[in-house]
Amino acid sequence: MKIFHLPDLGEGLAEAEIREWYVKVGDVVTVDQPLVSMETAKAVVDVPSPYAGKIAQLFGKDNDIIQTNAPLVGFESDKIKQDEGSVVGKLEKSESKWDDGDVIIGQAKTKLTEVNKIMPAARVLAKEMNIDLALVVPTGPQGLITVGDVKKLLLERSSTSTAKHTETLHGVRRVMAQAMVQSSQEIVPVTIFEDADITSLPANVDLTVELLKAIVTAAKAEPALNAWFDGKTLERTLMDKINIGLAVDSKEGLFVPVIKEAEKCSHEELRKYIEDYKHAVANRSIAPSNMQGATITLSNFGMIAGRYATPIILPPTVAIIACGRTREAALCRKGKLIAGRIMPLSLTFDHRAVTGGEATRFLKEIIRYLEKE
Amino acid sequence: MPEITLVEAVTQALAYEMQNDPNVVVMGEDVGKDGGVFRATQGLLDKFGSQRVLDTPLAESMIGGMAVGMAIRGLKPVAEFQFMGFIYPAMDQIINHAARIRNRTRGRLTCPVVFRAPFGAGIHAPEHHSESTEALFAHIPGLRVVIPSSPRRAYGLLLAAIRDPDPVIFLEPSRLYRFAKQEVNDDGNALPLDVCFTLRTGQDVTLVTWGAMVKETLAAADKLNDEGVSAEVIDVATIKPLDIETILASVEKTGRCIIIHEAPLTGGVGADIVALVAERALFTLKAPPVRVTGFDTIVPYARMEKYYIPSEKKIMNAVHRLMEFT
Repeated sequence: MKIFHLPDLGEGLAEAEIREWYVKVGDVVTVDQPLVSMETAKAVVDVPSPYAGKIAQLFGKDNDIIQTNAPLVGFESDKIKQDEGSVVGKLEKSESKWDDGDVIIGQAKTKLTEVNKIMPAARVLAKEMNIDLALVVPTGPQGLITVGDVKKLLLERSSTSTAKHTETLHGVRRVMAQAMVQSSQEIVPVTIFEDADITSLPANVDLTVELLKAIVTAAKAEPALNAWFDGKTLERTLMDKINIGLAVDSKEGLFVPVIKEAEKCSHEELRKYIEDYKHAVANRSIAPSNMQGATITLSNFGMIAGRYATPIILPPTVAIIACGRTREAALCRKGKLIAGRIMPLSLTFDHRAVTGGEATRFLKEIIRYLEKE
Repeated sequence: MPEITLVEAVTQALAYEMQNDPNVVVMGEDVGKDGGVFRATQGLLDKFGSQRVLDTPLAESMIGGMAVGMAIRGLKPVAEFQFMGFIYPAMDQIINHAARIRNRTRGRLTCPVVFRAPFGAGIHAPEHHSESTEALFAHIPGLRVVIPSSPRRAYGLLLAAIRDPDPVIFLEPSRLYRFAKQEVNDDGNALPLDVCFTLRTGQDVTLVTWGAMVKETLAAADKLNDEGVSAEVIDVATIKPLDIETILASVEKTGRCIIIHEAPLTGGVGADIVALVAERALFTLKAPPVRVTGFDTIVPYARMEKYYIPSEKKIMNAVHRLMEFT
């Protein structure tokens, strides 16, 4: 309820007496409609309504004395049309929500690659001569590519015969090359290997989905591996969500689409994710947004060949799990040899951000998950 | 948390600070009984009394001078000008006194005054009511120029402006006053001055804007996103002093920079940002930095106004042009 207080009806009058109410509870009034007749020491005056709306309460009966600034009339507040000023102009009005998104005070921190500094004239020349700036060796201050640098490469080009099969990488293959270089320059990788005994898993089990589930479980137990690390500021961010990048091979190069919030997905949903991404990669229809935001990566190269690997971490993540080809093996159980199945696992972690203990515990959780079933 | 409009956020910040700092005084034409031309000061007179909420005569020069005097003597006046176009009679007080007190007294005195005014076009108003002359103030040493663009930023930045020991020109985009609502926590937490706000992160182009143009810019960014162009949107918020580092960091990432302001092109704040980007980030640019602005003309009346204000389409066209540079 919005309350209208008795205004000063004269000059410094302390109170006034109600002579007659013109309205009753439930009445709908307009602005300036007389509400009540009040008698002051000086005169009898009508008090106009400051609001348009429905009367909810009257504070006083006829002949009651009301102090100045004491409550006089209560209005049903949601029925009050707000006084929005009346002077000039028309303000656009809506009940819609102001959507700022996630506001960052200051700078956005995601900076993925090193910035190439290129003199504008060099950029133009390179474009005209069809020179890939990534191949130009910069000699200017702070790594600046100058016109001279582009010219130098042009000169070299014209003096050497080009082999027929040389191609400048582009697209996904190029991104892969850059990411691998960045990774090898920045990251301090350590890889550990271990086998999971999957003898007891049914033969038709969906191993990729099981692995995704195992990663979710392990990431919850050991969050240090589901993290981002910024080598420049030495900032480590443990992630709440588990977004698993899934390495997918294609003719054009390596794609790593991201299964967002894998911890919320059922087995079926994970399988559908994988199928959708396989198709999307095959027809090159994958949205860039679906390849961003990975917090950890899975490479299931074993579907082709290979047992163990030293997979390369994609910055800013700090871990990648690779799964080799599962195979039959002779296993030793309680002193006896049995025929079983094993899945070879390789885990690379960034030792700048992750300790050996964290990594091995993480790997152990993965194996425990796979072997429990 | 209650959802409130930008103008209600202004009222809320004023009420909070008046409650917590007895030195805060609100003054201006019709700010008391009438609650201000846009009702930004509604209810303050009832709550805090006529000693602290002053209805002034219709004399802006006097409002400016009085506020400077009060501020020097220890009060924290928040003076409202009904529209930005009405500040000009007070320019002498603002430029020659408010902005210089600290320097003139070698730091012995400061002038903690906030000059508030609604600004910008788009409300079908008559002449003098649609100005965006923030560059005039940005040019004056000693003044801070702060422009919120959402209810939350209006609340947090106004609190910061009142608490700041130096004069702040606080410009409120009238076009956004009641445009939409947002949850605002009335907790008295100020937002930082002199820092940009990054509203969208992106890789392809940096859109730098402030005030009411944030609305069209965000709309353009969302449409561009559907096209596959990811735009970073920066709300400058404090025009002076300018947080150029945030803009440069973004431009280094995207290589493309567009400044969008409603104010006329010539001598606008956009020119300054382009200059700084050119001076400090030229070699990372993939395309020339450009401006999308109002025209070098008086803001037209209601019927033509929409052709004056840079449209979402105009912003998108500029982005498309820059995306041709690869």
